[in-house]
Amino acid sequence: MVVPEPTDETLAARAAAGDDSAFEAIVRRYQARVFRLASRLTSDADAPDVLQETFLHVYRHLSSFRGESQFGTWLYRIATNAALMHRRGTKRRAVESLDEYLPRFDADGVHAATPAELQVASHADELLDRKTLVERARDVIERLPDHYRDAFVLRDLEEMPTAAVAQALGIEPAAVRQRVHRARLMLRGYLSDLLGVKP
Amino acid sequence: MTYTCASGVELLMEYLEGVLPAEVNAALEEHVAGCARCTAFVASYQATPRILRDATMAELPADIETSLQAFLRTHTRAFKKS
Repeated sequence: MVVPEPTDETLAARAAAGDDSAFEAIVRRYQARVFRLASRLTSDADAPDVLQETFLHVYRHLSSFRGESQFGTWLYRIATNAALMHRRGTKRRAVESLDEYLPRFDADGVHAATPAELQVASHADELLDRKTLVERARDVIERLPDHYRDAFVLRDLEEMPTAAVAQALGIEPAAVRQRVHRARLMLRGYLSDLLGVKP
Repeated sequence: MTYTCASGVELLMEYLEGVLPAEVNAALEEHVAGCARCTAFVASYQATPRILRDATMAELPADIETSLQAFLRTHTRAFKKS
């Protein structure tokens, strides 16, 4: 007979009551996701610290989890805050303008690039070697202005619903959409540029 | 209302999230259907998150997992005592 895995909420209740094995199970369940989120919002070098800060905070505040949201949502919000706080405390390289990668239009509002040029970015993962793409992707996301980066990472990379991103960042859903849109335009243009075509 | 490529691009995210009024959706769809440039642009705009998501899919290194366990063992013990 297969014993069903306990839910997050069951583990959280047991961990809050002092069951260390339940807390360890929570860590095992979420550590990879938190590390990935932290590396996207900070850097590979800072992600281990964010990982530690997140789970220590979770442990210390388990008794305050009231089940008003899903446990995963609650934990993810703690991880997001830990990453953003950590980033504030570390010296970052200067943010560069990525406006040069925005799409261009002629006087009539028509795309300046040809259809063939405009579709090239769709195939960046096939046309670039994997190592180059991974390096460049991390680099350009780090170059985004923070408010665009945070919204893009949470909405498009972590695939959180827009409403949840808005709640996590303390902004309106319309602002999330606007920031994600600008980030996508810049990143799409950057991929085009990497492949040698106009954005 | 008719849209150009430029005015259509500005509404793209809202269109894809389904928050625009039906008549705006219809006008945008009409423009894109007749515009090879916008058709290509929309495809690359939608592909961008997937490509960057795959490219930034960091794995948790085994040594970091080990140090997390050691860190939590020490600090949770200290928290219990306090």
